[in-house]
Amino acid sequence: MATDRLLAVLMLLAKRERSHPHDGSLCAVAAELTDLSGAGIALVSAQRQYTSMCTSDAVAKKLMDLEITVGEGPCIEACLADYIIDEADLDEPNQRDWSAYGPSAAATGARAVFGFPVRIGGIRLGALSLYRDRPGELSPQQLSDAHLMTSVIGRAVLSMQAGAPRGTLADELEREANFDFSVHQATGMIAVQGSMTLGDALVTLRAHAFAMNISLSELSLRVVSRQTAFDPNSTLWRDEPIGSS
Amino acid sequence: MARESLLISTLVELADNLVDDFDVIDVLTMLTHRCVEAIDVDAAGVMLASPGGELQFIASSSEEMRLLELLQIQVDEGPCVDCYKDGQAIINHALTDPSDRWPNFSPRAMAVGFHSVHCLPMRLRGRTIGALNFFRSAQGTLTEDDVIVAQGLADVATIAILQHRTSLDARTLNYQLSNALNSRIIIEQAKGMVSQATNCDMDQAFRRLRAHARNHNQGLTVVATMVVEGALAGNDLDFPKESKSR
Repeated sequence: MATDRLLAVLMLLAKRERSHPHDGSLCAVAAELTDLSGAGIALVSAQRQYTSMCTSDAVAKKLMDLEITVGEGPCIEACLADYIIDEADLDEPNQRDWSAYGPSAAATGARAVFGFPVRIGGIRLGALSLYRDRPGELSPQQLSDAHLMTSVIGRAVLSMQAGAPRGTLADELEREANFDFSVHQATGMIAVQGSMTLGDALVTLRAHAFAMNISLSELSLRVVSRQTAFDPNSTLWRDEPIGSS
Repeated sequence: MARESLLISTLVELADNLVDDFDVIDVLTMLTHRCVEAIDVDAAGVMLASPGGELQFIASSSEEMRLLELLQIQVDEGPCVDCYKDGQAIINHALTDPSDRWPNFSPRAMAVGFHSVHCLPMRLRGRTIGALNFFRSAQGTLTEDDVIVAQGLADVATIAILQHRTSLDARTLNYQLSNALNSRIIIEQAKGMVSQATNCDMDQAFRRLRAHARNHNQGLTVVATMVVEGALAGNDLDFPKESKSR
């Protein structure tokens, strides 16, 4: 059951997908939901390389390009610190020491920037950055909406990496906004079975659920009850019950 | 142990745990264990609200699947959702009719042998952050004293979570709740890794994580994070001492 705020996200996403089918819907929705000027999403690789996934407008794009070029800014710092990063006034910075990013960011027209880590437990996917053309802190509602967006973004990135068909995300989120505990347990098990990272394990799990045409929870419960397992040698799934070794 | 001494030792234990950087899940797990000992219930669980307003499972007195599933289903429906939304306690709700006010929750709770449920809000100064859920296998009712004791423990835990930092600013609070929920995910991921690496069930995996954390004087989340980051192998975790409580 989706809560009111999540339904608002899903409605905004649906509206966006119709009117702008190929641009960064998630960034546009993040900006609209939080009532800020713009948003960007950066993904981080296991080797700590940052790439831009999408931006909502020209200023957000400049900010993201700048951040990735100079190697400092709200997304990168949110990823490194695993914490919310805020700079409520780029013209009179008192929160952050961004000697390279700060002045150039202010020159784009942004006055306040914020960064929120995107993660699923121990899986670090990247960060959401938000900016506003006026200085000032975020309100409690904006903060909780930004947090909500990071969980939607986490799910979206995962679906993308698992090759999910376009448009399946909203249905999924409406059915279950957050993964249930069995999904996380199964992710841990598959990571050990396949000697892979948790992130790869979750993508592998997700892709297999698509292939089997069952829900991720259903597949996860089968993994947890040891009715199915991932064989790293053949990279195939074994669906017969496996005995304890 | 007499209830009075149990309560006093629980308060001391809480105070001892509420140092800087305490582990919210550790404290809430301890709370559920003490509730099971102090009042006449068989299992207890805590649900916290996510920033999106949805309840999520955060701690319980046992990591058995049957209990986790009963807590999980309450993301959608059940005493916790009602208690959280209304901010009102639900006491002595007898599970007799499978088609009662929770048509998905009640039959499943009855199927695993529970006969009554109770739920207390976790709230401080008008803000409800979650709910504390109790299950009983035997027929019968909680006394007024039981409820006062349980609500007292729930209140202490709520204050602990909300007053963790000196300033109760929205940013810190939001982050703290979402961090606690993310910690729970890390613990589930770590349980899966330990369960696979040592061929044990999820309850045993959780006990080993918790035993290791206690023995090494580390937070549960710290130990779970070491496991998911590959810094600590499942096989190297300490074993729990024989324990009577669930």
